[in-house]
Amino acid sequence: MAPLPIVLVGCGAVSQLFYAPALRALEDAGLLRVAALVDPVESARARLQSLFPAATASATLEQAEAPRGGLAIVASPPRWHASHAIEAFGRGWNVLCEKPMAATSAEAECMIAAAATAGLVLAIGHYKRFFPASRSLKFLCGPAGPLGALRSFSLAEGGPFTWPAASPAFFQKSETPGGVLLDIGVHVFDLLIWWLGDPDDFKYADDAMGGLEANARVSLRFGSVTGRVQLSRDWATAQRYAFEFERGAVGWTVNDANGLGVTFNGAPFSLEGTLRGTDGTVAATNPQSFIAQLQHVVTAVRLGTPVLVDGREGARALRLIEACYARRQFLDQPWFDAAETANARLRAARA
Amino acid sequence: MTIAVIGANGFIGTRLVEMFHLGGRDAVVPVVRRASSLALPARFALEWRIGDALDAASLASALAGCDAVVHAALGDARQIEAMPAVLCAAAATAGVRRVVYLSSASVHGQAPEPGTNEDTPLHCHHAMDYNNAKVRAERAFFRGCARHGLEGFALRPGVVFGPRSRWIADLAADLRQHRAWLLGDGSGICNGIYVDNLVGAVAQSLAAPPDAAGAYLVGDAGRITWSQFYGRASTSLGLDPAAIHRLATAPEFHLTASERFSQLVSGRAVQTVLPVVPARLKTIVKGLAATLAPVSPSPGGWRLADVAPPRITQELVLLQQCRWHLPSDRAIQRLGYRPAVDFPTAMQRSLAWLAFAEGAA
Repeated sequence: MAPLPIVLVGCGAVSQLFYAPALRALEDAGLLRVAALVDPVESARARLQSLFPAATASATLEQAEAPRGGLAIVASPPRWHASHAIEAFGRGWNVLCEKPMAATSAEAECMIAAAATAGLVLAIGHYKRFFPASRSLKFLCGPAGPLGALRSFSLAEGGPFTWPAASPAFFQKSETPGGVLLDIGVHVFDLLIWWLGDPDDFKYADDAMGGLEANARVSLRFGSVTGRVQLSRDWATAQRYAFEFERGAVGWTVNDANGLGVTFNGAPFSLEGTLRGTDGTVAATNPQSFIAQLQHVVTAVRLGTPVLVDGREGARALRLIEACYARRQFLDQPWFDAAETANARLRAARA
Repeated sequence: MTIAVIGANGFIGTRLVEMFHLGGRDAVVPVVRRASSLALPARFALEWRIGDALDAASLASALAGCDAVVHAALGDARQIEAMPAVLCAAAATAGVRRVVYLSSASVHGQAPEPGTNEDTPLHCHHAMDYNNAKVRAERAFFRGCARHGLEGFALRPGVVFGPRSRWIADLAADLRQHRAWLLGDGSGICNGIYVDNLVGAVAQSLAAPPDAAGAYLVGDAGRITWSQFYGRASTSLGLDPAAIHRLATAPEFHLTASERFSQLVSGRAVQTVLPVVPARLKTIVKGLAATLAPVSPSPGGWRLADVAPPRITQELVLLQQCRWHLPSDRAIQRLGYRPAVDFPTAMQRSLAWLAFAEGAA
């Protein structure tokens, strides 16, 4: 079978740090070929073209050349996701769209409808579902979980913002509809929804005071399971997910794709180690999980098999984020004096 | 008044922006070096700008339209020394006359002699590079102000603590891990200043008459010892202050041969000639330098479990030997400085921040 042609839309940090090495690995394996690179910034295109010299490079998607049936990877800023994905469907390309899949759930619905009309694949880049640790947690949270029913969880993720963003778009309301909740929270919510389903109830608070939040807190209820989520791009969090089950506890360090910790109730010690397959081989690392996602989507396009995170599935996390923003409460900052707190609340309410 | 805050993402800069903006008196323009530093300023609907504190043209562009500038940017020793000249040139180009520069009480060393005040001559023979860099930087600041006709205020705070301060976060970690320590009975003086009080001093400097320009020591009201500082933090965290290690004597710090070599290489003279030194020669010298690193005998697995030794740094050893409460008298008289937040409130707010950062509901 001929390698699947790829159009990479957006040559910024995520493409340089994640997609480029993954695409090269799969190109070397003969599964795909990068046919076109698209980015309005010439220097960004040039950096990736040095890695994929056979690809054409263009400033707009309209100028990109690739045969119908190929795969467009949409890794542009979120506010362009919907228009780029819909344009790609119009060209006859399947789409793998980076998270968050769109700026709004309404845009996400348009993307889903466009994919259905074109009869093409729409996959969303929630690659953390491909972590062996995430898959283990899904098993543990499920009805056959050996630790019994899940009772509660506490998830803390984030730290000072270090992503090598080329532009200030992450911090401009005109470019992105949300702060840390949209940026990091979309992964967290996607995993939570995958593990536990949609929440029955939630409360949300953040520290935006007319701008975009840097700290967010969510408390959620899924049936009898209660939990809380702390997100920050301000100060280093514990970077740890903790789950309390009927017969033990499980801890997972954020982004440690193949690591997990387990404590059995009553046992004097905990276990923390590397996950392995039943044949003893070390389970996939973080980069290998990213490659696995890409490989999974390529296979789905070629063979017509279902994708793990399609448009409908990807939109669930986005809808929950929108619901959080709609019910947003101000997160008090206890070092503010009374006058500052009153002013901060006022600015938060006006936004 | 429109005030630019350079280093608006740092711990002091963040609080400056919060207090100025939420205080509502002045318009504030946060200035950061790169886009990725915008997370905290972007919580507000503010017109932030990108400006490099080491590039006069970039910084001048960021200061355009501002009436005053506060410099709170951090850097390594070389950057600290280079930034004031850039600041003054940029302010002059942008037409900003009032410049407040955050210097440090460490221009007098970590343990200043009794009687030290703003009239005490500065020197560059301190044990730590940072202190010498701050001395050179402050001198460069006032040279720059004179050259460009600026109204320069250099504030010299001591141990600045508060939300997002390492003096709170690191101390809490050390206390929890039983790595905190006090020298002797802990009666060394902590010349501390709560960050809100420092912001108050900045506000007073911005409002002061032009003839008040100069250098000012600023600190909290009242004398606080290190034992009191650690004790308050410890009890607030629910820990027993009696568990804090006690050092009978101050350990001496000597530079290793490798550290001396690093210091020599980072010096201005070597950095000037380094670009013309052949790469091969550099490699040989680096290889030789690597052999200077001491090889300490390792106990292997034969050691007691879970014994956390005190985390002793040269800076803290020197600070805890301080016997002089640096006076804020000049700032009080000439700037009208009044430290509004007392120590118990300052510590309570600082630890409330810590609980917030750790995810407390």
